Amino acid sequence: MKGLAEQAGQMERRAADLALANQLLQKQKRGAEAILYSIRDAVIVVDSFERVVVANAAAEGIFSFRLDRTASRPVAEVINHPEFIGFVGQIRRNGQEHVKHEIVLRSGKDARSFDCILSCVKDDKGEVTGVAAVLHDITREKEISQAKNDFVSHVSHELKTPLASINAYAEMLVDGEAKDETSLEQFCSIIQSQAQRLNRLIEDILNISRIESGLVKVSKQPLSMAILIRDAVEMIRSYAQEKSISLHTPQAIIFDQVYADKDMMSQVIINLLSNAIKYTPQGGSVTIGCEVHDADGKIRVSVTDTGVGIPPEAMDRLFEKFYRVEANKNVAKGTGLGLNLVKQIVETVHGGRMFVASEAGKGSTFGFELPLAAGRPVEVA
Amino acid sequence: MSDKRVLVVDDEIHIVQVVAIKLRNNGFDVITAENGAQALELTCTKHPDLVITDFQMPVMTGLELVENLRKRPETAELPIIMLTARGFAIEDEKKKALKVSACLSKPFSPREVLQSVQEVLGLHAASPA
Repeated sequence: MKGLAEQAGQMERRAADLALANQLLQKQKRGAEAILYSIRDAVIVVDSFERVVVANAAAEGIFSFRLDRTASRPVAEVINHPEFIGFVGQIRRNGQEHVKHEIVLRSGKDARSFDCILSCVKDDKGEVTGVAAVLHDITREKEISQAKNDFVSHVSHELKTPLASINAYAEMLVDGEAKDETSLEQFCSIIQSQAQRLNRLIEDILNISRIESGLVKVSKQPLSMAILIRDAVEMIRSYAQEKSISLHTPQAIIFDQVYADKDMMSQVIINLLSNAIKYTPQGGSVTIGCEVHDADGKIRVSVTDTGVGIPPEAMDRLFEKFYRVEANKNVAKGTGLGLNLVKQIVETVHGGRMFVASEAGKGSTFGFELPLAAGRPVEVA
Repeated sequence: MSDKRVLVVDDEIHIVQVVAIKLRNNGFDVITAENGAQALELTCTKHPDLVITDFQMPVMTGLELVENLRKRPETAELPIIMLTARGFAIEDEKKKALKVSACLSKPFSPREVLQSVQEVLGLHAASPA
């Protein structure tokens, strides 16, 4: 009797241990499933009969299926992507590990690219018991890489244009093709101006790239917008006079302080002013306005011209790098980088917003909004 | 000296000018245009013996210009030299199909342009100026 009671006690303890171990295992399983389910990459596991046994939320999302409704059905019936199904079968038959393919998934107009890494799952004896697939979305990386390639090819084209002039005129000088003093002076001055153009291009490209990569040195301080505008207008006045363009400046406003980088903001205002003058015919006018909106704590600066204006189809692309309005290319020279730089300075560096309005043939208004430097003391230059 | 007339087409005024001076200094009659559309008109009215054109231009690109010239019987065989800032902008097959005599890439040498013009027109190189 004693023996039986002891045995019964041991059995009870063992049963309790097993229940505890089972609880622990269940907990670990739920934990592992939670981790698997939360991974952003899609994870799918099929067994040796190619039935889907594991799939996380990302996998269900990209292949549009629900594991709880499709469990244990062959992968080919669950996922409508013959290429992917083909890879799974191939890997399982060949017993391969870590095979990488790129696949494209389309839904409507949208196409996304994925790195698909497949591996065989093997048991202790090395027998293939299934295939695990992990899909990582590389659409964004591919877009960035494409944009970089386009940028490099565009930059090299833009750099080669002035370089072609410098090269050709230098050769002309060497070959004695400048037949008189005037030609000699002209060739030299073209070489000089094209070298300057090359330098401006390089400076603009570097500035944009520094801002984009966050490497730019920004020294913000409280500044009066009226003083910034006044200084910029003084710098640009002789250019306006050359073209007999009248410049209208705003009345000084009492509280117009912003917290900004002085050199960068000056560059923004000068760039907008010089663009306005550049694209306005002789005798036109350029008006710079400055308004304070106390209610939303913003200052709004605008530059309005009576120039050639911008056709509606070009409006969305104005701030793109190297974009130039086709119809206005013959009006003035430009790199197509100025407005992109202006936008980067206003929006990326200062948290402001650019705006533009235009009517072809009548003129344009370019401007920006910046937050007011609330309560900060102001240094008067 | 030559009595041949060359039409130079490029939207970069300095490029047009340097090619024009080089050719004029070597006895060619040079006319210029800043885009393909202008050039197309000049080929009708001024009948050049050869066209040197840039590839990328506003209004009408160099390629469109050549395609248009080839469609017209009177300019179907007009010799054409292309200037391009991108080395591979025009494939060999297309070049052949459009009968482009030569392709020079930018930055280019005015000397090479002159030499190419002389070769295409079957002229002997002029003695150095």
